[in-house]
Amino acid sequence: MEKLTFILIVLPFLSAIFCYITPYRKLRSSIVMATAFLLIMSSLMLIRITPFSFSPITVIGADIHHIVLILDFLILFLIFYFGIKHHNLLIIIFAILQIVLLGYLEYFMIKEQTVSPIFYCDYLSLIMILIISIVGSIICIQSIPYMKNHEEHLELRISREPRFFGVMLLFLGAMNGLVLSNDLLFLYFFFEITTLCSFLLIGHDNTERTIRNAVRALWMNSLGGALFIIALVILNSQIGALDMQKIIHTPKAGLWFLPIALLCFAAFTKSAQFPFQSWLLGAMVAPTPVSALLHSSTMVKIGVYLVLRLGPAIQGTFLTHCVAIFGAFTFLAAAALAVGQSNGKKVLAYSTISNLGLIFACAGINSSAAITAGILLIIFHAITKALLFLCVGVIEQHIESRDIEDMRGLYSKMPVTALITVIGVITMIMPPFGLLLGKWMAIEAASRNIFVIIILALGSALTVMYWARWAGILMSDPFAGKFKTEKQPILTWVSLVSLCLGATLLSMISPWLYSRMIIPTFNEKYLQSYTVTRGILENPSGSFAVIPLSILALIGFIVSVLAVRKALRARVVPPYLSGVQLSEPGTFLGPMNQPVKAEAKNYYLSSIFGEQRLTIWVNLAATVLITMLIGGAL
Amino acid sequence: MSMSMQILLVALGVVAGPLIGGLIGGLDRIITARFQSRVGPPILQPFYDVNKLLAKEYIVVNAWQAFCAYSYLAASMISVALFFLQSDMLVIYFVQAVGAIFLVVGALSSTSPYSQVGAHRELLQMLAYEPLLVLVIIGIYIETGSFKISAVYSWDKPLLLKLPFLFVALGFALTIKLRKSPFDLSTSHHAHQELVKGVTTDYSGPFLGLIEIAHWYDVALFLCFCSLFWATNIAGMIILISITYFLEILIDNVSARMTWRWMLGNVWAIGLTLSLVNLIWLYQR
Amino acid sequence: MFKKLIKNSRMKSPWLLHFDCGSCNGCDIEVLACLTPVYDVERFGIINVGNPMHADLFLVTGTVNSRNSMVLRNLYDQMPNPKVVVAIGSCGLSGGIFREAYNVVGGVDKIIPVDVYVPGCPAKPEAIIDGVVAGLQKYGRIVN
Repeated sequence: MEKLTFILIVLPFLSAIFCYITPYRKLRSSIVMATAFLLIMSSLMLIRITPFSFSPITVIGADIHHIVLILDFLILFLIFYFGIKHHNLLIIIFAILQIVLLGYLEYFMIKEQTVSPIFYCDYLSLIMILIISIVGSIICIQSIPYMKNHEEHLELRISREPRFFGVMLLFLGAMNGLVLSNDLLFLYFFFEITTLCSFLLIGHDNTERTIRNAVRALWMNSLGGALFIIALVILNSQIGALDMQKIIHTPKAGLWFLPIALLCFAAFTKSAQFPFQSWLLGAMVAPTPVSALLHSSTMVKIGVYLVLRLGPAIQGTFLTHCVAIFGAFTFLAAAALAVGQSNGKKVLAYSTISNLGLIFACAGINSSAAITAGILLIIFHAITKALLFLCVGVIEQHIESRDIEDMRGLYSKMPVTALITVIGVITMIMPPFGLLLGKWMAIEAASRNIFVIIILALGSALTVMYWARWAGILMSDPFAGKFKTEKQPILTWVSLVSLCLGATLLSMISPWLYSRMIIPTFNEKYLQSYTVTRGILENPSGSFAVIPLSILALIGFIVSVLAVRKALRARVVPPYLSGVQLSEPGTFLGPMNQPVKAEAKNYYLSSIFGEQRLTIWVNLAATVLITMLIGGAL
Repeated sequence: MSMSMQILLVALGVVAGPLIGGLIGGLDRIITARFQSRVGPPILQPFYDVNKLLAKEYIVVNAWQAFCAYSYLAASMISVALFFLQSDMLVIYFVQAVGAIFLVVGALSSTSPYSQVGAHRELLQMLAYEPLLVLVIIGIYIETGSFKISAVYSWDKPLLLKLPFLFVALGFALTIKLRKSPFDLSTSHHAHQELVKGVTTDYSGPFLGLIEIAHWYDVALFLCFCSLFWATNIAGMIILISITYFLEILIDNVSARMTWRWMLGNVWAIGLTLSLVNLIWLYQR
Repeated sequence: MFKKLIKNSRMKSPWLLHFDCGSCNGCDIEVLACLTPVYDVERFGIINVGNPMHADLFLVTGTVNSRNSMVLRNLYDQMPNPKVVVAIGSCGLSGGIFREAYNVVGGVDKIIPVDVYVPGCPAKPEAIIDGVVAGLQKYGRIVN
């Protein structure tokens, strides 16, 4: 197990350094692909030895605690330097605060290193590692042709790719380390690495706009880090150890709730919940693989992972109810904001925030059905959102726009990518796929909580609206005749198709996933929620027949595809334009006998759901809810 | 339930769904005609219509429409079959929503502005009724303790007595789903046009026939949902559905089509308030 | 057996598209009068769908002029087979009293094939219904 952990955490760090110093593109790409392969293999091999825990003493010959401490301070000083370089007072304040508190914690509070074990892997960590390693590696693989194209497009003479791949690989290692950490100081260290990576990657293109957004991300994430370290100081003084498992199992006394509430608050900033969503929206200026990896599949999942870990500790308290309502509110508000957006990446960003809010709501409701729902949502959201971001990246490079209106009729220009995007959208909102299974479970779990359930019902309806219109628009060009595929680099096809297959096939084996991997994550406090018989998840109050519905969906799909093949031989007529259509498709005879192109645009309902209109109110409401959360913990 | 029983129920659902939907559609047209001092078509008229449509020439605007029409039909069929299997109501709701989404996606695949605007109005209609439907299902769960329909049938008191406001909310959803005024924005039956035929403008021939059959399945499903509110007694069930449907036809004939803002505002304001009141009442017990 | 069922269904469910191709509206008013409770053609299953893609019967009134001949052709092409065209009123038959005007093409059958001619100026609703029924007989005899 030590070897596997080394491969998962330290190898990417080493590969990152290699990538950074290598000037040859092909060598760099091979290093990335080799690292990706090793990560996928080791994460799969981890399945057999889970659960496990251990405490390494040294890594590469040096005492592990010293290395982590030195690197931690290094990172904080780097953040401080960036704060000064970009003249941002908030970053400077938060960096100084964290340096001071970390020093205080290390040298005055901790007498001996008694955290044991340092690394703890149960099934929740395993699931996160599988997601990070597999989905993350696929994204890194796709970013090889993407960045090549990106730099050709920007006509860069000196390639910035070494920096890009170095930071991406560094990030993967840090994420793996974070979910394996039991020692909260280690977790904090990896947390800060991810903050730094996010800053470096958002500002990758080094233009004024990207730097501005990167700085905003840095100060908001640093706020999260500062809250984290404050929580650690309070925890240390209350409990005397910074051991996650111990914290979860100690009896609650004194100021115990306050640091947990602060950790939840830090989780909210990391997961870009309201009112801190602007950093995630601003981060969309980064190259799309960054958005796919950091800002939808992995980094923003740190927040939900943290709250899910703390779940058993806060079961039944006021704090957990606050988290549930806050999460549900974010789900609704982000869905409403997504309805008013026409920028494709912003729709995906708001959808990410929305789904994270739903997972927070599940974590807050804190019953075993709800936590199961949360874990299922994490898995399937990561895969599907990564797929959609990669598709949008490929589309954006081809049509040079990320606006949904410009993707109208994309099928005629990029048939396979359009179809994969439509499949991605279908796996987001339809049964029998995993995201809907999670949503169903979440609604059933939340049904005793009247506020949460009304909010979830409204949010779920809004979700359908913005996805369905996007999926419809992509196929909007009338087609008939032979099906042609477009040319894309082989690595792009490999990543898109593997994620697509992963999303669909994994949904079909979700009952097995539930019984093998999710049930073991629960401890004694939770009762088992569902039984699995012949592919049907069932409990006394509800049932979801995953395998039967999947089979029926497959049959329906095959029948529909055969129908399309028959329809390709049908007589094609132009769409109805009151009889004045001309031979050129989509045009009609207008006034003065001039041809006029018929245009239609989507309803964005910006007078109700527009970003400018809603954001202020949403931020206000979110601030009130967070205040209630912290205040209730005092 | 044994396997053979399940297969029998599924077959019953698949066959009975369009029969119920079609006959009620025919009855609907006759009663509407009588309201308008006309005689009206024979009761089997919807079946003649669909037969004729299925036998027409295959013409398409976009071959993708074929996929969407068949998927809509498949989803509606599966949702009715699940109802007859007395399965989980929330799953039935989500499966039915799949069909509705495919109808919209198929309409968006044509570039005609009538189709496009009709598709968006259909999305807004779905936005209006979906939360109410979820809340009705939640209300039934609170009362009977289970999401499964089998629990409703084993409940000894009629649900209408405890969930009257939720029944009104379901009535809103039913009106929108049946495409009755004032909520017939996206497409309406037969001669009441605004956007030519809205969502179904560019569907024709066999695909239009399939959409019509899928619509019958949806009508059957929603009326079955209404019937759950008096599940203790067959006579009571029939009386409840008859009164409800008669009121729907009445409302259709006396009201005019309204705008989507009016629909969204009113359906959410009234529907959500009534649902909230009823749910609070249920929680208090 | 299926053929008989289909023929029966077709004759019992004719959906019509009504197009005014330059008419003075006299015949149009009579056509729409057929849909009112006085004549009530919905008894025969006839519905006025305004969409050629849904329609089986094409009722055309009016002379055809050089501008709307394109529209007439387009609508006819967008209708799926089998279809029946009924030309109504003397304008529809041959151009009527406007036959010699400079812009008039004169008669629907110069653009699209017509199956039934209903004379009159304006044609009476009873005549129109007769014409439609004759068209239905022809419709039923079409083998797909």
